[in-house]
Amino acid sequence: MNFNQFFALAKEKGISESQIQVSKSKALSISLFRREIEDFRVNESQNVIAAGIVNGKFGSSLTEKLGKDTFDFLTDRILLAARLNEKKEEADIFKGSEKYHKKNVYNPALAAVPTEEKLALIQKIESKLYDADPRVAEVEVEYSEHESSSEFYNSFGLKLKQKSNYFYVVASVVMRDGEATKNNWKVVLDKDLSALNVDEFVAEVVDGAAKKFGADSIASKKYPTVLDRDVMASLVNYFLSSAIADEVQRHTSMLEGKLGQKIASSKLTIEEKPLEKNVFFSYFDGEGVATRNKVVVKNGVLKTYFYNRETAKKDGVESTGNGTWGGGKVGTGYGNVFVKPGKQSFDELIADIKDGVYITDVAGLGTGMNATSGDFSCQAEGFHIVDGKVAEPLTLITLSGNLLKMLKDLKGFANDVKMTLGSISIASAYIKSMSIGGK
Amino acid sequence: MISKSLAIKVLNAALATGGDYAELYLEESTPEIIMLENGHVESASSPQGYGCGLRILCGFRSVYGYTSDLSAKSLLALAEKLSASYAEPRKFTVEKIVSPRVKKNINISDHVRDVPVDEKINYLKEISGIISAVDPRIVRVQTGLSAGYKKIEIYNAEGPVGQHFSNEEERTRVFMIAMAAGENGIETSFSGPGASAGWSYFTNTIDYKAIAKDAGEKAIMMLTADECPSGRYTVVIKNGWGGVLFHEACGHPLEASSTSKGLSVFSESIGKPIASPCVSAWDDGTIANEWGSDNIDSEGVPTQKNELIRDGICVGFMIDRFNGRRLNMAPNGTSRRQSYKYCPTSRMSNTYIAAGKDDPEQIIKDTPLGIYVANFGGGSVDPTTGEFNFSASEAYIIRDGKICEPVKGCTLIGTGQEVLMQIDRVGNDLELGQGNCGAASGSVPVNVGQPTIRLKEITVGGRGGKLE
Repeated sequence: MNFNQFFALAKEKGISESQIQVSKSKALSISLFRREIEDFRVNESQNVIAAGIVNGKFGSSLTEKLGKDTFDFLTDRILLAARLNEKKEEADIFKGSEKYHKKNVYNPALAAVPTEEKLALIQKIESKLYDADPRVAEVEVEYSEHESSSEFYNSFGLKLKQKSNYFYVVASVVMRDGEATKNNWKVVLDKDLSALNVDEFVAEVVDGAAKKFGADSIASKKYPTVLDRDVMASLVNYFLSSAIADEVQRHTSMLEGKLGQKIASSKLTIEEKPLEKNVFFSYFDGEGVATRNKVVVKNGVLKTYFYNRETAKKDGVESTGNGTWGGGKVGTGYGNVFVKPGKQSFDELIADIKDGVYITDVAGLGTGMNATSGDFSCQAEGFHIVDGKVAEPLTLITLSGNLLKMLKDLKGFANDVKMTLGSISIASAYIKSMSIGGK
Repeated sequence: MISKSLAIKVLNAALATGGDYAELYLEESTPEIIMLENGHVESASSPQGYGCGLRILCGFRSVYGYTSDLSAKSLLALAEKLSASYAEPRKFTVEKIVSPRVKKNINISDHVRDVPVDEKINYLKEISGIISAVDPRIVRVQTGLSAGYKKIEIYNAEGPVGQHFSNEEERTRVFMIAMAAGENGIETSFSGPGASAGWSYFTNTIDYKAIAKDAGEKAIMMLTADECPSGRYTVVIKNGWGGVLFHEACGHPLEASSTSKGLSVFSESIGKPIASPCVSAWDDGTIANEWGSDNIDSEGVPTQKNELIRDGICVGFMIDRFNGRRLNMAPNGTSRRQSYKYCPTSRMSNTYIAAGKDDPEQIIKDTPLGIYVANFGGGSVDPTTGEFNFSASEAYIIRDGKICEPVKGCTLIGTGQEVLMQIDRVGNDLELGQGNCGAASGSVPVNVGQPTIRLKEITVGGRGGKLE
């Protein structure tokens, strides 16, 4: 595509400044069920998003249909969107940052591995899962690989490109013992196939399900509670979404007016590192602003909100490089978050808990969380902690609390850091007391 | 979107290695999305979707791929890549394509897309104004309209004579979000009426002013609500959106994608009691102009009214073509997908518990102590174990047969098997409510529904201690 033609057409139609982004993605996935390839998928898609300024108003448009009319379609839609836009503040297109920290994170070796080898890998996992325990009744294993690239141009001559790829393997088992059915799943995500330790992976999937047999509910009351990493990551994610400046400026964030204040236990330190070289690396944001690493919470004190250009202007600060742009308007996002771990092992962390609860999984947080007040209640499962040791399994209990109160009650993290799918690296967390609902 | 001759060529390329079914799903979508913040337009967009999904089945195996490039070269390359998964001799060659007649469940004369955009914006501004006027503690109001419009073409073949279907999907939803701030934080309430209907549905059929006012009042009411108690209690669930209970706890485990693989708690349940005898339930994709209705499903099968439970006995599943093969059962028009980027599978459409005989007011009068759930945020289920959760966005304590003080932070949990047996009263006031359901084949519009029902006892989670 010749983007100069787009910029020329935009100017001709009265769009004073403009930008355009082309994104392409490719994916492959293979699923096994009962030792057969049950599902095989390949796909390729692309889209173009464009935006421009008309009389100081921002308008944007998107299409997946690329052809001779694409630029006409995009510019017409920008004109309409800008005409309807009633935001008071004057908008402009970002010209470019002084310096960008580009790194190459694309791993050509992953794409070069033949499909047969990827298939053989999951067949090996499948077969080991069946052999791991006689109670294993059903196994599903999927290999999925994604590659994406984007190119960003604006009418001031800015040109940015990035390309990345990664794979994940997800495996689940259903185990049956008499009348009881238990299941478990696990996923590994990386850009290097050698990062997957098959035996360890298989053991974790099967042990996870096996440990759930005999699970029961527990008496409703407040317990010292340890949250496993995925659970804590989901909760921290809600906390971080409250740090988006747009929410704060609209008076619907629990973090409004809390900048520079102690909002959590001093054990909590959170950094966002978009420039960390891993699968979540990104060196420019949705507006073309260079990203940078930043401390969001230091020893319990809130240090910054997440800004895009518009919200930064309102608060008289610089954009933090957290702009996102996927469709109608510029939003704000974050990724590659690192929560500072503790020094103790998991066993040491729980050693002084006499009667507590270890939560390994939650469900229903999406609707059970009031993201504006931080109140939440959701389904949970895990284990009873008795005299400093993980004891009998628990199922169909509820976990409820308030996010800010929970972070104030944070007693510390273990050192068992894990990078979760939501791009948050975090360790198991010990909370002084949380409400558990059961019998 | 492509010629019939190209479709035949692609299907035959797809079937070259022994596939026994091939299907092209072509889609062009031009939705209109308008979002307002406190009565001002923040964005008006129309993201254009365009692409094609190709699926080839061979016995119990399935391959799927998609592309947004609909040129002959790209489609034939996709067919070649996908068919390379199979290595059997060709079973048949597609020689011609016929176009069966499609019965229409959706008839719209006043298309939302033809209404001038300023008129739609004024409608949203009016709603925003009504919500804001409810109380000065309402600090933020979001209103929006999402009008989906899709042109779909399906070419499929299971033998030398293939089929071609051409269909349009058109559905609109209006969003109302009220946020109120009080001493104890911020409370949000949501309302989102939707239908496969025209503009007059939104301006005349529904009482949008009353719905807007109610959204504002609910957010204010929750500011002073107590924390919900936890423990095991009798729970009465209001008609309409309360049917999300049945959707999560029982609807998902009755989808062939779960039952066919032996992964569902209801896999072997046909002909067996799975609910208390006062429960009958349906999935009906044919209801005229409803949010979850369609003329045909994503593989060209006409939608149907499918009976799931009759007087407590399981009598049917939602069945798509692929999973139907394992079950040895015919597809029943329930194969759905969000877009060409998703491989279709069995999904719900308009799913509801049928009306019973009880007067809803009497059900409450007959409940000495319990919880009345008037509205839910949503929930989820694990079909393998049947364990579900859902959270109430509006709930009250029932004392001495009367609905009393509101409570917040209420979550219900249990298993589908248990909850269906716990239903002891079914009202005569069936109503449907709109939602979007996310699963393997993406997010699809669904109606949930039920009359007022009562559960003898279910686990309730909240922060308010024991109910007294």
